[in-house]
Amino acid sequence: MTRSRWLPAVLFFAFLLSLPLWMRDAYLQQIAFRVVIFAILGLAWNLVGGYAGQLSLGHVAYFGVGAYSVALFNERLGWNPWLGTLAGIGLACVAALIIGSLTFRLRGPYFALSTIAAAEIIRLLALNLSFTHGAIGMIAPGLFDEPNSDRKTYLASIPLLALAFLLTAWTHDSRFGYSLRAIRENEDTAMAVGIDPAREKLKALLLSAVLVAAAGSLYASVFQFIGPDSVLAIDMSVQMALIAMLGGAGTVWGPIIGSVVLTVAAEGLKAYLERAHLLVYGLLLVMVVLFLPGGLVSIFKQRWFRRLRPRAGTT
Amino acid sequence: MATLQAILNGLLVGGIYALIAMGMALVFGVMRLVNFAHASFLMVGMYVAFFGYTLLKINPYWGFVLVGGALALFGLGVYWTLIRRVMGQSDFLQILLTEGISLCLVGAAQLLFTGDYRSINLPLANRTANLGPLNFNVAYAVSFAIAIFGATSMFLYMRYTEMGRAIRAVAQNPGVAPLMGIRVQWVNGISFAFGVACAGAAGALLLPIFYVNPTIGGPYNLKSFVIVVLGGMGSLEGAALGGLILGVTEGLTAYYWEDSYTQVVDFVLFLAVLLLRPQGLFGRKAP
Repeated sequence: MTRSRWLPAVLFFAFLLSLPLWMRDAYLQQIAFRVVIFAILGLAWNLVGGYAGQLSLGHVAYFGVGAYSVALFNERLGWNPWLGTLAGIGLACVAALIIGSLTFRLRGPYFALSTIAAAEIIRLLALNLSFTHGAIGMIAPGLFDEPNSDRKTYLASIPLLALAFLLTAWTHDSRFGYSLRAIRENEDTAMAVGIDPAREKLKALLLSAVLVAAAGSLYASVFQFIGPDSVLAIDMSVQMALIAMLGGAGTVWGPIIGSVVLTVAAEGLKAYLERAHLLVYGLLLVMVVLFLPGGLVSIFKQRWFRRLRPRAGTT
Repeated sequence: MATLQAILNGLLVGGIYALIAMGMALVFGVMRLVNFAHASFLMVGMYVAFFGYTLLKINPYWGFVLVGGALALFGLGVYWTLIRRVMGQSDFLQILLTEGISLCLVGAAQLLFTGDYRSINLPLANRTANLGPLNFNVAYAVSFAIAIFGATSMFLYMRYTEMGRAIRAVAQNPGVAPLMGIRVQWVNGISFAFGVACAGAAGALLLPIFYVNPTIGGPYNLKSFVIVVLGGMGSLEGAALGGLILGVTEGLTAYYWEDSYTQVVDFVLFLAVLLLRPQGLFGRKAP
């Protein structure tokens, strides 16, 4: 069990770290960076949406807070982007505490709607306040100096992915993870067996927000230009959910697989259909919900697949 | 006087909001389904009205009936092929499915019609009239009147027809309704078609005073959520009143504060109602 879990992980991260050694093409490197960033986002969303079963459609709020912090603290106080990232993580925690303590009192569709409202309030503030420069957006400083700043940022993103992966793997087998799953299956029963849903959900959201905010800071420092429509758009929240669902919500590898498949598919299709990415996302989401609610990971768990490889591990 | 003018402007816009939100409220009330694709159907309705006008010279002020009918059929098809399969499943999956449908509609519109802004030019849309010292845009007033007419006929339909009784029965208790000989699947399908038709007709009425592009639905979807929550999820009367209230709130915000902050006020109102009075302003039962 343990070996079947850790061996693929070690191989996967070794592969990611080796990429810059043999992949020289700048475009492919950027795709690799996107895969990593969206895998982090998918894993982070997965803690709240997958394990705890809380359909958050406002996760972009923490992404935007992370991205804007890097730019704002640099512009106003001259902080370097590393400090900005830390500040962003701190602010995202504050935002998560406020948003979480308000929205987690609601259930089902009411919760989903209220997370959208909270994220939209933040987007509209960024759009209308003067110190965020409104729709024009902001310039964010790069984390690293030239040359090869993109490659260095890519390498810096891998430890964050590792952290997200380890957190998820720990959650998967820990008491905390079982509490979250109990809340997902039935919140009232979870309370009856002594779980405090409000506290556990808030814990999951805090962990999630930290990862999302850090990913937002990295994103800002690579693309160096951020605006309300790029780092606070509601579509991004949906995309996080889609990545986790596509790969398999409530699993360790699901969001990573989802990110690889979705990013590569979207980039590959871009060559043929310029404006089709929304349609592709939509079709994928519909297909997954109707035919594969367990995500791509669930294919590997099906009986016919196991029969092909009788000794494969359970997860 | 300026305040009265702001209230009047808000009321006229609120009529259209009410029509959109009633469609969403109906679907929620009967099917317990939060339709995240609702305003994407509004966008589809706007495109149908646009091409109806430019290709066939159909004036949207009577063509809204045709647009509503076309969208009702479309909605029935969407229900039968997709939505029907997640009825009775978790709201997690239901929301993701309707969100996926929404993305499909927006993406298809982008592919077919590009992201260009399109609008039609009706002479009516530029005419203003006076009501004592207040003045108003005639097109808004006509849309308002039609929206109120649509809302009223929907109430009467729900109240006095056999189908309306069946719909209300399913809304009250989807478990017992089939025991009374009601085909719940049909009722669900027809409610969904009705809901989509409301969005489509509202789209046709919005077109002459606005413009259409594939992402036009987004803000209206959020506004409908706000209105439906404001009026108490699933209550038609609540949604109608909620639409008017939201319109007036926006009118006053735009006048006393700033136009760009109307949406911020929308969402703050929304969160406040959800947290402090989750049954809505007029509802009795907590969700």
